[in-house]
Amino acid sequence: MITILGYTLIGIGIVFWLWGTWPMLGKRSVLFKLHSLSVADTLGSMSIIMGLLLKIPREWPLLLLALISLAIWNTVLGYVLAYCSTGGRYD
Amino acid sequence: MIGYLDLLLRLTIWFLLTADLSPANIMIGVSVALLLPRRFTRTPALLKDWLRVLWNIIIAIPQAYFEAIEIMLRPHTEEDTTLEQVQPNRTPGLIFLDIFVITFTPKTIVLRYRDDAYKVHRIRRRKPS
Amino acid sequence: MNGVLIIMILILLIPLYAAWKDDDIWQTMLAFASVATKTSIMILVISVLRDDWMIGVVGVLILSVGNASLMLLAHILKRLNE
Repeated sequence: MITILGYTLIGIGIVFWLWGTWPMLGKRSVLFKLHSLSVADTLGSMSIIMGLLLKIPREWPLLLLALISLAIWNTVLGYVLAYCSTGGRYD
Repeated sequence: MIGYLDLLLRLTIWFLLTADLSPANIMIGVSVALLLPRRFTRTPALLKDWLRVLWNIIIAIPQAYFEAIEIMLRPHTEEDTTLEQVQPNRTPGLIFLDIFVITFTPKTIVLRYRDDAYKVHRIRRRKPS
Repeated sequence: MNGVLIIMILILLIPLYAAWKDDDIWQTMLAFASVATKTSIMILVISVLRDDWMIGVVGVLILSVGNASLMLLAHILKRLNE
């Protein structure tokens, strides 16, 4: 049961990765791609790590740390990229 | 008023990193957390504000997944920017967490922060009329 | 799990192609940020696959140091453009 749940979470993560990375090939603005990358790289990766956590609960402290730092760093990187790519003025 | 929440955060990271609850390790963790430089702010953050922001983070996780599924099923193709008010008397830590919560959900990203407002970029399904 | 890894590598090709194709520096930065996250997740998956937690520790360390260099680079590029 736990194993199936783990594989399901990993599968959801892979689907998020594929869906969120696909728009990178298109010709949209950087900000639009950032929205879909936050689906892929933050939420999809969090789901994959949750799946791994269910597969090896023995290593929960390190995987939990990975989960937290992934969420924080990816979100902050999204903010920094959005901030830096839109020029320096309040317009 | 020392930032005991700050201390708690450092200890949590330490114990997750080492995964060891022996007395020696607890002593090392506490002393490192106390020795690292801290910033003393004039107006300490209220515990009530912190609890509310932490609650917002817990709500934000399922909400983020919900929004992700929503924009997967129905394509959101239009983009625009809006201004959101900042609540008064926020400390830098609380502002950081506010920005974190807004940017974490896939539909919204904070672009700029000013004293009174966040500039938020969001995607939506159709053009705002 | 092998299949999962192969799909991940195929998905990894998308940002690599985007980084190669685009001339705009911000699109390239975006692609590399994506590559950085995806490879560190792949390191974690490989460590589970091979049941070798030493590899996993490396992945966790990479994730917790984060993309600090990319953030610094973004700020430098912003200064250059001003």
